[in-house]
Amino acid sequence: MTLSQRLANWARMKSPWITLFNSGACNACDIEVIAALTPRFDVERFGILAKGSPRHADILIVTGPVTRKQAPRLRRIWEQMPEPKYVIAMGACGAFGGVFRGLYHVVDGVENVIPVDVFVAGCPPRPDEVINAVVACLGLLKEDLARGGKEWRAKKTKVIERVEAKEGAQPAPAKPSEAST
Amino acid sequence: MSELLKVEQVAKAMEGLGTVDAMKPNRIRVATTPAKVKEAVQRALKDLKCDHVVQIAAVDNGKSFELIYNLTGPHHTVVSILLELPRDKPEVPTASDLLPPAGLYERQIHDLLGIVFVGHPNLKRIILNEDWPENEFPMRKDWKPNPNTFYGGVHTEEAK
Repeated sequence: MTLSQRLANWARMKSPWITLFNSGACNACDIEVIAALTPRFDVERFGILAKGSPRHADILIVTGPVTRKQAPRLRRIWEQMPEPKYVIAMGACGAFGGVFRGLYHVVDGVENVIPVDVFVAGCPPRPDEVINAVVACLGLLKEDLARGGKEWRAKKTKVIERVEAKEGAQPAPAKPSEAST
Repeated sequence: MSELLKVEQVAKAMEGLGTVDAMKPNRIRVATTPAKVKEAVQRALKDLKCDHVVQIAAVDNGKSFELIYNLTGPHHTVVSILLELPRDKPEVPTASDLLPPAGLYERQIHDLLGIVFVGHPNLKRIILNEDWPENEFPMRKDWKPNPNTFYGGVHTEEAK
């Protein structure tokens, strides 16, 4: 790792820049995120700064279920963010659609459109939970830097799938023999 | 003009268009037909000084569509013009040339319920996403999403 990369990583850890995207929320989650940015909760002690442009941000906070109108726009905004990028899905709606799940105008959770790193529970989550999620993202970032990328998290699920497939394949030929005997 | 409109006043203005009754002191209902709705809006505008459209409500009651034009003016009385549309041919003349703000409500109703406002200058999509399929109206009672149809948003293969 070159000195400039180490310096960039150190700066990233010390000051994550976040941007907020409303993909169809009822505004409660947005209010909680804005409250987290106020002096009362004082996120600047972690170096967290709110940025207006996704091109400057490291962490994208998505609030609300993703409506069909916002889904392509959310994806485009996520694509504009520079690597390494992290996504926090806020609240019950961000996780699986919440009360809007299955309606004609939503594609349910944020994970149907972009990969999500951290989910925050609650309706809406409290500002300190938002700060906790951002700090959790910093932990993920540290781990990713140590392991050289995000693949270690993606692989884990893939391995589990393969094991399940093998287990499913093994008993299948055994079943007819059991039935015959 | 701060006095409320009276039922007799409205009944006189709406003569020959349908039945008039008062639901509340400040709310007078006129039940009319699709063919006479334009005349009713025009008379409300001219004779009753109803220059403000509060909203146009649209209902799907399972058998037919109902439209309710809520109009008001400096007298603070809401004049509701009711009409019923058949399900197989939901067409009604537009009121947007008399009351331009009604055009927005008409576009919305056309989008969600598929009611055609004949003579509307710009009956385009307003509230649904751009890639929503044609001739699918999600607010109709008999509408069911088709699992094989793509209703817009992001294709799931693309997301993964």
